[in-house]
Amino acid sequence: MYAYIIRRLLMLVPVLFGVSVFIFVIMRIVPGDVAMTILGTDATPESLRQLREDFGLNLPIYQQYFEWMAGVLTGDFGESMRTGKEVLPDILNRFKLTFELTLISAVISWIIAIPLGIVAAIKRNSKADFGVRLISLLGVSVPNFALATVLILILALFFSYSPPVGYVGFFADPATNLQIMILPSIVLGTAMAGAVMRMTRSSILEVLRQDFIRTIRAKGARERVVIFQHALRNAMIPILTIIGMQIGTLLGGTVIIEQIFSLPGLGQLVLTAITQRDFTVVQGAVLFIAFVFVLINLLVDLLYSYLDPRITYK
Amino acid sequence: MMGKRRKWLPCLFLFISLIVAGCSSDETGGGENSGEAKGENAEEQVLNIANDQEPAGLDPHKTPAHSSIRIYSQIYEGLLTFDENMEVKGQLATDWEQPDDTSYVFHLVEGVKFHNGREMNADDVVYSFERILDEETASHIASYFSNVEKVEAEDDYTVKFTLSEPDATFLSYLTNASAVVVPKEVVEENEDLQQTAVGTGPFKLEEWVPDNHVTLVKNEDYYIDDQPKLDEVVYNTMKEESSRLSAIRTGEVDLTTLSAKSASLLQDQDGVNIMDYQSLEYSYVGFNVDKEPFNNEKVRQALSLATDRQSIAEIVWDGDAVVSGPVAPSMGDWAIDVSKEELYQRNLEMAKDLLAEAGYPDGFETVITTASTYPDMVDTAQLLQQQWKEIGVQAEINQIEWGEYIDTWSNTSADVLVGRNGSGTDPDRSLNYFFNTEGSANVWNFSNEEYDNLVEKGRKTLDKAERKEIYAQAQEQIINLSPNLFLVSPMNYVAVRDSVEGFTPYPHNGEEIVEVYKK
Repeated sequence: MYAYIIRRLLMLVPVLFGVSVFIFVIMRIVPGDVAMTILGTDATPESLRQLREDFGLNLPIYQQYFEWMAGVLTGDFGESMRTGKEVLPDILNRFKLTFELTLISAVISWIIAIPLGIVAAIKRNSKADFGVRLISLLGVSVPNFALATVLILILALFFSYSPPVGYVGFFADPATNLQIMILPSIVLGTAMAGAVMRMTRSSILEVLRQDFIRTIRAKGARERVVIFQHALRNAMIPILTIIGMQIGTLLGGTVIIEQIFSLPGLGQLVLTAITQRDFTVVQGAVLFIAFVFVLINLLVDLLYSYLDPRITYK
Repeated sequence: MMGKRRKWLPCLFLFISLIVAGCSSDETGGGENSGEAKGENAEEQVLNIANDQEPAGLDPHKTPAHSSIRIYSQIYEGLLTFDENMEVKGQLATDWEQPDDTSYVFHLVEGVKFHNGREMNADDVVYSFERILDEETASHIASYFSNVEKVEAEDDYTVKFTLSEPDATFLSYLTNASAVVVPKEVVEENEDLQQTAVGTGPFKLEEWVPDNHVTLVKNEDYYIDDQPKLDEVVYNTMKEESSRLSAIRTGEVDLTTLSAKSASLLQDQDGVNIMDYQSLEYSYVGFNVDKEPFNNEKVRQALSLATDRQSIAEIVWDGDAVVSGPVAPSMGDWAIDVSKEELYQRNLEMAKDLLAEAGYPDGFETVITTASTYPDMVDTAQLLQQQWKEIGVQAEINQIEWGEYIDTWSNTSADVLVGRNGSGTDPDRSLNYFFNTEGSANVWNFSNEEYDNLVEKGRKTLDKAERKEIYAQAQEQIINLSPNLFLVSPMNYVAVRDSVEGFTPYPHNGEEIVEVYKK
């Protein structure tokens, strides 16, 4: 088991290397020039040249890559071209927000999705089932940004409420922090819930048809025991796969939601950096997001074996 | 089945979560932030402003982004500023004289302190302008002061500027928000001023939490009595218009800029006043005049005759825009009245004749490039596409993202480009800088010797009446040669809560807050 984990962690290296080269090259291929976006239309050719030199953009691309990589390997992700701030601390700082947003959204989605999914499966083809399927269809198909905008407008127009401006960390002021985080989490949570609900329903249906369930029922077990102790645990694997993918995606920052709710998370950082061609920030952030994604995948794989002891990793 | 539960797995999960949550120092934990700074204490005067973009950095000599300027212009000051009529007046300079056509002597206000407590003197002015002109700085305003040969301190409170030739723009460029005085020791300590800010202005930088907010606090040592009236100003980064709209509705913020469409939504909102003022910007469509068919001025004139500027004002800006020439109408009597210009009267017959004379009796095909980031530019492109179709010009629209757009603009890689220009605070900018053969923003490959001589003369003519005459001619010429078609100049909107007193926006300064206080 431990050997497996170590092997998986070692596999991170080629993946991250590939991602780093890819993003490095892509950023330099797309049209647009960081010096121009910083200095705007007032810049003289001399100042543009000077700025590009300051960023080392006049060096051959492989040399730029090696210099950046040498820094990354020693934990120095470089400085933002635009603000001059250290990249890594900034990424980690914003990741806290994104992490909290993901966590709250995920909890909201589980609270909604798993019970409703179970109900839909048990009462198959009843009105309740159709209701749940309709809700999940809406959750999957209503775009995040539309729901977010409508939510903000309704609260402002009918309840004269808008979330506090400016972000406060959870440990600095939990009440304000939760007030800020709850709306975006609801928006993200409902979208996540749609997919999880569907998966829970079909997965439980699948399990309920299997022989061992009939055996357990024949032994006279109560329905509650059948569902929660036997069926749900066996049905969890595909649900977990979906949840893992969702969480991995959310941890990469939710650009649109962060923008709409003015949250300084990872998504905002990457978006701003891309539009301004802030190479160092984009490279650092993408590398970090890839790392998190791979790590989440590993965690999900390990959870499989926890849920189903028949799955072992050697 | 349930027996052999591996206890280490949930522990590992929890452990990793904890590491992630705690892996960075709690920098954002600014507990005393804007969110709760409001109205807790009736004595505290806090103004919350919504900033539609994250500031790019706070170095006034290096950062032209508007989201940065609105903040650092509260922190730093220059020698001169504009009064409400856009006339030059002293700021850090009490007065000045001109011993001859190429030298200016400024007398500084005495006893002005930087926010670090040190007194500002003539050496700081010398250092600041040397820094702007130094190539290493890569300052965006270096081109404004290219005629400055020498800056010397004559004593602690007297600075002399020597120019290489007479330059009528010099004084008005000194009012530029970036032409400000900075302390040498702070620059040297931090390499630049992107993250730190130490000026002489009415407000001091308290904290900047990226993508979130910038807080400024009152400068208690400010040299003008009774200013500023506010204790704190918070610029909250809110990129989404709908968020700014609901925040101003509910009073979470006190002041925000808005688009015309949102301003009309807020018209009847209790507790919110909408203020509008004519901007210094105008929208334009530019041609690469080296490329066929745009190398023929008759084609450009034909397109001008086919363009219905009034309908652009009506449709794109909800009627809140005025038809403009190369100098925006808000520049007062520097701008000529374009409504009389022949090329501004829509005349499809004449346009078709001109196209036929140029050798395109059936029109031609082209591509209009514009920035997808700005809805007004996209709408303008679509209207032009419809209007030009009537004289046989078939245009496709190519929308590109902002970073690429800037690149396209500077390399002239589009034949037809829709955009917006700021006309600056001196007509020299829009006439010299964009259309002189040597103009540093002349990306159109446009060159006309007669025109060049005219605008260069305009720059060197110190007599105001004579200068106006020259620029009136230059505007006529550039409209007739049509390297760009100048379209309309929009209104700007500010929404302000009615608790905010003493706020008036001007075209040259949309955010003067030293006199602002809250009821």
